[in-house]
Amino acid sequence: MSKYYLAWAKDEEIRKKGANGGFVTATLVSALENNFIDAALVVAKKSVYEGIPVLTSDPEVVKECAGSLHGAPINLTKYVVDYAAKKRIGLPTKPCDARGIIEQAKRRQVNLDNIFMIGLNCGGTLHPLRMREMAADFYELDPDSVVKEEIKEGKIFLVSEEEGGEEKEKWIKIDELEQKGYGRRDACKSCVTKIPTSADLACGNWGVPQGEKKTFVEVLTEKGEAILKNAIDSGYVDIEEAPGKGIEMRKKIEAGMQKLATSWKERMDEVSTLSRSGRFEFYVDALKNCIHCGACKEVCPVCACEADSKCLDMNDERDSYAISMYNMLRIFHLMDSCIHCGQCEDVCPVDIPLTLIQRRFSERMQRHLGYIPGMDVKEKPPLYETELRWSAEAE
Amino acid sequence: MGKSEGEEWEPKILAFCCNWCSYAGADAAGLERRQVPPTIRVIRVMCSGRIDPAFVLMGLLEGADAVLVTGCHIGDCHYVNANNKTRNRYEFLKEFVDELGLEPERLWLRWVSASEGPLFAEMVREVTEKIKKIGPSPLRREWKK
Ligand SMILES: Cc1cc2nc3c(=O)[nH]c(=O)nc-3n(C[C@H](O)[C@H](O)[C@H](O)COP(=O)(O)OP(=O)(O)OC[C@H]3O[C@@H](n4cnc5c(N)ncnc54)[C@H](O)[C@@H]3O)c2cc1C
Ligand code: FES
Repeated sequence: MSKYYLAWAKDEEIRKKGANGGFVTATLVSALENNFIDAALVVAKKSVYEGIPVLTSDPEVVKECAGSLHGAPINLTKYVVDYAAKKRIGLPTKPCDARGIIEQAKRRQVNLDNIFMIGLNCGGTLHPLRMREMAADFYELDPDSVVKEEIKEGKIFLVSEEEGGEEKEKWIKIDELEQKGYGRRDACKSCVTKIPTSADLACGNWGVPQGEKKTFVEVLTEKGEAILKNAIDSGYVDIEEAPGKGIEMRKKIEAGMQKLATSWKERMDEVSTLSRSGRFEFYVDALKNCIHCGACKEVCPVCACEADSKCLDMNDERDSYAISMYNMLRIFHLMDSCIHCGQCEDVCPVDIPLTLIQRRFSERMQRHLGYIPGMDVKEKPPLYETELRWSAEAE
Repeated sequence: MGKSEGEEWEPKILAFCCNWCSYAGADAAGLERRQVPPTIRVIRVMCSGRIDPAFVLMGLLEGADAVLVTGCHIGDCHYVNANNKTRNRYEFLKEFVDELGLEPERLWLRWVSASEGPLFAEMVREVTEKIKKIGPSPLRREWKK
C-alpha cells in the first residue's frame, strides 16, 4: 500500500530543530496531544556522543528531542517491551529498531496494535568511542568541543565550539574515514536494510529536492496512515505528493547503499578465507575471553528470555570447555533470528567481534531457510516450528 | 591420549535414543547378539523431541567425537509429531556444526524402529569407521589440555 509524500512540521520551531522537515517530531507531538498515543519514546541528546531513550507523555520533551543522533547507536526495542503491553506508544524506529520490535511481537512480548513505528531510513550510526578518536585524529578537534554532527552527501560534518563561542565546521568523506577503520559501526557498514519497511511509516531525506527542508515519507501500513492523518487533521503537519523524480532518486540511493554494504560485508569477513580448522581456531580464540556477564543477551533486541535463560542457566564457570555453553547457546539460539544490529558487540566488555560471529552463523542459516527476521510478524521463527517449509518439500 | 603404543584409538560416540523405537532397536541388536562397536554411549530419552540442541552441543563439548540423534521413523513418533521438531532442530545443528569448523560427520540423525536391530548395529559401525578416519574432535582435544 505504499504511498509517498513530502511532509513537514507547520510549527517553525519544530521544523527548524528537526533533522529534515521535523515531520517525525510533529507527528509524535500531535499524537500525544490528541491522545492518539499514551506516550512517545524519543532519544534525548546528552552530547554528540550520547543519546538516551526517554519515555514521555510530555510534548515539550518530544520537541526537545528533534534531530538525528548518529553517535547514539542504541536500539529502542527493549524499552518498548514492558510499556506496550497495555498502553499505546509512538516512536521513531531505525530499521533495526523496527525489526527488533517485530521479533518481540512474534515472541508475544509486545502487542503491535499498541505500537506506532515512525520509521527512519538509516545509513548507519557511529560508535561513540571511535567517533571521539576520529574527531581527535582526523578532524584535529578536541573531542569535547564537538557540539554538532551531521552526515550528508557522503561526508561526516563535525562542528566544534571554540573559545569565545565561535563555531567551526569541518568535514571528511565517509569513504576516506572508513578505509582507515573509522566511520560507521561494522554492523551498519554491512547492513542492507536501509529503509524500515516493517515499520508503519518510513521517513528520511532521500528523495527530498535539494535545499528543501522537508521529510520524505512512505506510508507502509494502515496504522501509519492513521497517525499521519491525525497529524494533518490537527494542523501539525503539511504534506504534498512526492515527485516521481524523488521516488526514483530514493530507490537509486538505497540500491547504491545496499551494494556498498554487501561489498563491506565481504571485505570485513576475515573468516571467509579460512579453512575449516582455521575457522574453528578463530571462534575458539575469539570467544575465549568471554566473562559471561550476559550483557549481549540483555541488549539483544531479538532475545525474549528472562534472567533464568537457558544460555546462562546451562553455563557453569567451572567448565573448561573450548567454547562455553553460554556462547554456544547464544549463537545457536539466534541462527534464525539475528538481525545483525551489532548491539552485542557494542556492549561487550571484552570486545569480542560478535557482529561478525553472529552474522557468520545466522546468515547462512537464514539463507538456507529463505527467512528474513524482523520483516513479517506473521512468519514465526523457524526454530520454533514443527515442520520447516522446505523439509516438507523434501519428502 | 592415554593409550599405549600400537593400541588403536577408539572414538567416543554419544547416542541419544528414544525410548520407544531406537532404544528398543539397540536392545534388539543385543538380543540378536549382533556385534556393536564399544564406541557408543547411549542416553535414553522418552522421545527424540526431548533432545534439546543444547544436549547435543554439551555432548560435543564434553568430549564426544560424534553425536548421534536417533528416534522413531517420521509418522511413528509416540508423541504425535515431536520427531518432526527433531528433524527441524537437526537442520540448525548441522549448519552450526559446519560453521563452527567441525566435520559434518560429527553429527548424525537416524530413524531406527524397535525391530531394526541390524540397522542399529550397522549404523554404529558406520559412524565409528567414519570417525576413526577423521580422528578426535578438536573440541575434545582442547578440553583435555
Ligand atoms: C542514525 C540515523 C541515520 C540516518 N540516516 C539516514 C539516511 O542515510 N538517509 C535518510 O534518508 N534518512 C536517514 N535518517 C533519517 C533522517 O535523519 C531523519 O531522521 C528523518 O528524515 C526524519 O526527519 P524529521 O525532521 O522528520 O525528524 P525529527 O523531527 O528530527 O525527529 C527525529 C526523531 O528521531 C529520534 N532519534 C534521533 N537519533 C536517533 C537514533 N540514533 N535512534 C533512534 N531515534 C533517534 C529523535 O529523538 C526524534 O524523535 C537517519 C536517522 C538516524 C537517526
Ligand atoms: S517417541 Fe520416538 S521419536 Fe518421539
